[in-house]
Amino acid sequence: MSLVSRRTALKVLAGGGLGSLATGQSAQASEALPTPPADAVAMLFDSTICTGCKACVVACTDANNLPPDTKMSGGIWQMPLDLNSETKNIIKLCQDPAKPENFSFVKHQCMHCLDPACVSACPFHALNKGAKGVVAWDGSLCIGCRYCEVACPFEVPKFEWDRFNPKIVKCEFCNHRLKEGFEPGCTSVCPTGAVVFGKRDDLLTRAKARITDHPGRYFESRVYGEKDAGGTQVLYLSGAPFKSIGLPDVPQYSLAGYATSVHKFLYKWMLIPAAVYGLLVAIMRRRWKVHQVTAAREEAETGLKEQL
Amino acid sequence: MRLPPLNVNVWQRGVPLLHEPLLTLPMVGLIALALIGMTLASIRLCTGLGYFSGMTDVYAWGIWKTFNVMTLTALGSGGLGVGMAAWVFNRAKLHIVMRTAILTSLILYTTGLVGILIDIGRPWNFYNILLPWRWNEHSAMFEIMVCMPVYAFIFLAFENLPTVLGRLSYTGDAAMRERIHRWMPRLRSIYPYMLAGAYLLPIMHQSSLGALMLAAGPKVHPLWQSQFLPLLYVFQAGICGLAFVIFTLLASCSYWHRPLDRDVLSELGRAMGLLTLVWAVIRIADIAVRGQITEALSLDFYSILFLCEFLLTLVPAVVLLAPEARSDPRTLFNMTMLIGISGMAYRFIPTTVAYRPGARTYYFPSVAELFIAMGLISIAIIAYLIAVKRFAVLPAPLSEWYETVHDLEPDHKGVAQHGHPTHH
Repeated sequence: MSLVSRRTALKVLAGGGLGSLATGQSAQASEALPTPPADAVAMLFDSTICTGCKACVVACTDANNLPPDTKMSGGIWQMPLDLNSETKNIIKLCQDPAKPENFSFVKHQCMHCLDPACVSACPFHALNKGAKGVVAWDGSLCIGCRYCEVACPFEVPKFEWDRFNPKIVKCEFCNHRLKEGFEPGCTSVCPTGAVVFGKRDDLLTRAKARITDHPGRYFESRVYGEKDAGGTQVLYLSGAPFKSIGLPDVPQYSLAGYATSVHKFLYKWMLIPAAVYGLLVAIMRRRWKVHQVTAAREEAETGLKEQL
Repeated sequence: MRLPPLNVNVWQRGVPLLHEPLLTLPMVGLIALALIGMTLASIRLCTGLGYFSGMTDVYAWGIWKTFNVMTLTALGSGGLGVGMAAWVFNRAKLHIVMRTAILTSLILYTTGLVGILIDIGRPWNFYNILLPWRWNEHSAMFEIMVCMPVYAFIFLAFENLPTVLGRLSYTGDAAMRERIHRWMPRLRSIYPYMLAGAYLLPIMHQSSLGALMLAAGPKVHPLWQSQFLPLLYVFQAGICGLAFVIFTLLASCSYWHRPLDRDVLSELGRAMGLLTLVWAVIRIADIAVRGQITEALSLDFYSILFLCEFLLTLVPAVVLLAPEARSDPRTLFNMTMLIGISGMAYRFIPTTVAYRPGARTYYFPSVAELFIAMGLISIAIIAYLIAVKRFAVLPAPLSEWYETVHDLEPDHKGVAQHGHPTHH
């Protein structure tokens, strides 16, 4: 995917002329990444450690008072197929169809982006990035437009499709538990340490240390989430290609920045709309003057009032 | 379609089709469709969205947003396209079709907004629009949520007001005429300021409709994902608006046997063609700058879709450069259909077909969803039919005006001589 960088687009917009389009290509790597809040919390998930026990799935349901999704098992046990309006956290088995012995477990939940696309998209700040960088949902502000679902590159926010008063359901980093000094449900129960909770800075250092300690173990020898989509507060280490475990190939810059830069430029202090309105008024006043003279003359000739 | 003979300078005045009955067989069918759609919509508002649509968490937007709003308000941008051409760019002969343009705009915007109301899950929280500290002014969705209703219910309503007052000055009593006579000068004094707003607002929200898909980033195929989406969308709105007004005029005049005006239609065709050429240049330049030329010519599904969409827009625009083509109603009609359909495709594709390219899952609207969408379109057509039959909208020769008015109000000349507005 190559999206033109926002600087390029602004240059072109500001330049107005098509001539400046020719100089369009600029390096996306030079884009400044959003800075995480000082107290940013994080999760580090290592797919080479996860045994797929799904204790975190149950713990999440428990901690968030969600009903267990038992549709697939005929009401016997919790068996969600994907993140949904009853499931904020899931463990999935990812298998290479050609070589079934190559498999990996992966945990999915909200990535808590540093510059979340959903937050930038939400018309009334129903989704907001609050204390510790947690992306949370406020029902009193949500109109249910589902723009967050369209915007999220990880397809995390879920909607209660069968409710009269539907909620947007997504992992909120167990905000209520953080406030009481506990860690999130999922990280608190992981028996192998496949998912751990901590400060983002610390976890990033720890993840990089693991890569140095085990050369060749980790895909691309990098941490997914350090820069992906501008950086996220859930970090991933994987033995298998990121794409094969459901982590999409997103640009290494903030998608929210890409999405809002045009608007921020066009609507800054409402200067451009005000200028356009002024210009239109100036033109319309002149046209109106001429029009009134013409209309009066035609009325005198035909006896018919003009039709506006 | 059989098109009526062509004359020169025959459109002189908007004239209602007073002798056409309101209740016809097609009208009964439309009312039935509207009732089915709105009944389903009312039940939907009391239950969940899932029962009435094929939408899922993966395809969270269905045809109510992507077609009834995204695509049909482009067709409803005649008020912008024709209005800018007539007033701002001073194409004076287009004033005669302004009423057709602003009527179609008002109708399509209103039904689009009803579509949004049915589509959003928690409409009661919309009151947040009144609390500025809760606004996310960087969100394209927010801009649309404010701008679209204001445009439709204030500016478009204002533009359509003289049409309504014109009828009231005939059907109303003396007191009503007196009131209209008193109010018209006030209305006229703010007219240029309101019209300036009526062009600024659609430029704002029609470009925001394009900006919506910027947030989807890599989820939209690179042939459509671009930071030029806002610019391309607003141009396409102007083009589709002009195309829809030409289509409406040609279809209505042929259906109700009214003569066509070569000069006006040719001028509309010229404006539409030129605008389309500008759009095509921006579209190609954008593809080139983002390094997507090879992608565009790769002849896979998306490349072919792009080429069809682009060529079906470009070819008719080139054809319309020839004055002979523009003044032949049949050619103009065919080229308008091509531009209109490809323009609608451009506005529809980024949110649907090119959304999540290569995905194994797909979205298709459910039966109830389609019935609700058709219900909204039926309401639009019903409103149009009533409006043109009872209000002075569709253009006609002056002779037709005198015949119609004569039947309506035998003493109209007396009214006119007393200085009362006859028919605004």
